[in-house]
Amino acid sequence: MGKLGKSWKKIVAFLRPSDVSLKMDRRIQLVKTIVINIISLSIFVAVWWGLSEMLNSAFLPRPDIVFEAFIDSFQTVDITTGRTMWDNILTSSIRVAWGFALAFILAVPLGLMMGFSKTFESFSKPVVEVFRPIAPIAWAPLLLIAMGGIVGPIIVIFIGVFFPLLSNIIFGVRSIQPILMDAARTLGARRRDMFVKVIIPSTVPYIMTGIRIGLGIGWMCVVAAEFLGAIGGGVGQYVQFKTEVNRFDQVFAGLIVFSILGLSTTELSGWVERRVSKRMGLK
Amino acid sequence: MMLSIEGLRKSFPLEEGELVAIEDFTLEVEKGEFICILGPSGCGKTTILRIIAGLDTLSGGSISLNGKDIKGPGSDRGMVFQEFALFPWRSVRKNIEFGMELRKIPPKNRNEISQKLIELVGLRGFENSHPHELSGGMKQRVGIARALANEPEILLMDEPFGALDAQTRNLMQKELLRIWQETKKTIIFITHSVDEAVFLADRIVVMSERPGHITEIYKIPWERPRDRASMEFANLRKEILEKLEKMVKVD
Repeated sequence: MGKLGKSWKKIVAFLRPSDVSLKMDRRIQLVKTIVINIISLSIFVAVWWGLSEMLNSAFLPRPDIVFEAFIDSFQTVDITTGRTMWDNILTSSIRVAWGFALAFILAVPLGLMMGFSKTFESFSKPVVEVFRPIAPIAWAPLLLIAMGGIVGPIIVIFIGVFFPLLSNIIFGVRSIQPILMDAARTLGARRRDMFVKVIIPSTVPYIMTGIRIGLGIGWMCVVAAEFLGAIGGGVGQYVQFKTEVNRFDQVFAGLIVFSILGLSTTELSGWVERRVSKRMGLK
Repeated sequence: MMLSIEGLRKSFPLEEGELVAIEDFTLEVEKGEFICILGPSGCGKTTILRIIAGLDTLSGGSISLNGKDIKGPGSDRGMVFQEFALFPWRSVRKNIEFGMELRKIPPKNRNEISQKLIELVGLRGFENSHPHELSGGMKQRVGIARALANEPEILLMDEPFGALDAQTRNLMQKELLRIWQETKKTIIFITHSVDEAVFLADRIVVMSERPGHITEIYKIPWERPRDRASMEFANLRKEILEKLEKMVKVD
């Protein structure tokens, strides 16, 4: 116990933030975080492994088998779909990009106007509020029949991205400090100048937050849209086909791909968001 | 007479009746004068400044600049805020050039003017810094330069050094006097520091609590820089302080 206790103390002392210097402190904190992250993921995989051994069910394949299917999906052309995972990722990404672009083009001017003009807000708010509570996925079956397997999924994603983006922009315009508007007015700003030189720039960080949240939702919507008969593949379609042919290892591989795609999009847009805010001297 | 305020009255409607914030405020300001408006909080001194700036409307009386009634903000009046109110996404230079951009001054001239102002307020080397990188004193230097960039006739300053620590505050007071003497602007300066007012002003306008009105005007003909340690400085400061204290006690 004595020896074990001593080395345990050493580990704790290493992990505990010391007061040597702030920079050192932060580095230790980072190492600590990474170590804990690795431990938590390992426990997760171990539990998964244990469960799949215990249940011995085809619905929950072992992690190593899923990993193999994951690697394989990128390397070989699939027999049922005729595509590699790369093709599916590309297809899904293009859908998300289109849906997102449409939402962005519409939500930014609309949000700025709704935040800025009381009259315009009173005019457009009822319509927006009627549509907002409807889950984007609820539109999917109708839109896929009405607009087809190519445009349909894009519109589903559009609906998903549009509302969080719009809310964030309106909130951004409302959050402007009144004193900045006062300052601009004393410097000779008229309504138009106020819009272009004060409201738009100070809303940029909120637009960035809207983009990050919107993209996350975009990835959720693409799954649903692709389940319901999108044309031309996609990761969602891959997951559905694989469920139908009982290849649950490949189903899980597809789920992991979704996780990676969503996570990297959010991280990337979060990084851009922080960069933009810093460059603009905000937050 | 440059700025003329005649029987100014400001009231806010309440559920029953109204709240009179300022009553019968009359003041004539000469060109180049340094006026300090002094009073307890809630006496409406900031409101008066905002009315002169055109940010608030008056409820009665009249106010004119060079014989023209004031209707809304204009570039003939520059304002400096206690909270600085700098545009955080703009660099020091871009903050200073804001008003000139609006007045469609060509970039080359803009640059020349802003460079001169940067030198005037002592910010050389910080042209491309953003407000969040500056100390409070430096931020207010930007605020002053930004207001001056429109070449206003009057500089309206709303407790501009209220958010600064004592040392920076004293330094900024000296800097402001230097800038005032170099630019020969008319300044209306709001403060609740008697010391600050006695140090800066040609005339101190003392206001009472709500409804705010002028109780006294002190003319200070002394030369600058004024010596805070002198007898006359101490005596005047004491006299005004006692007057203000009495006002608060009555309440």
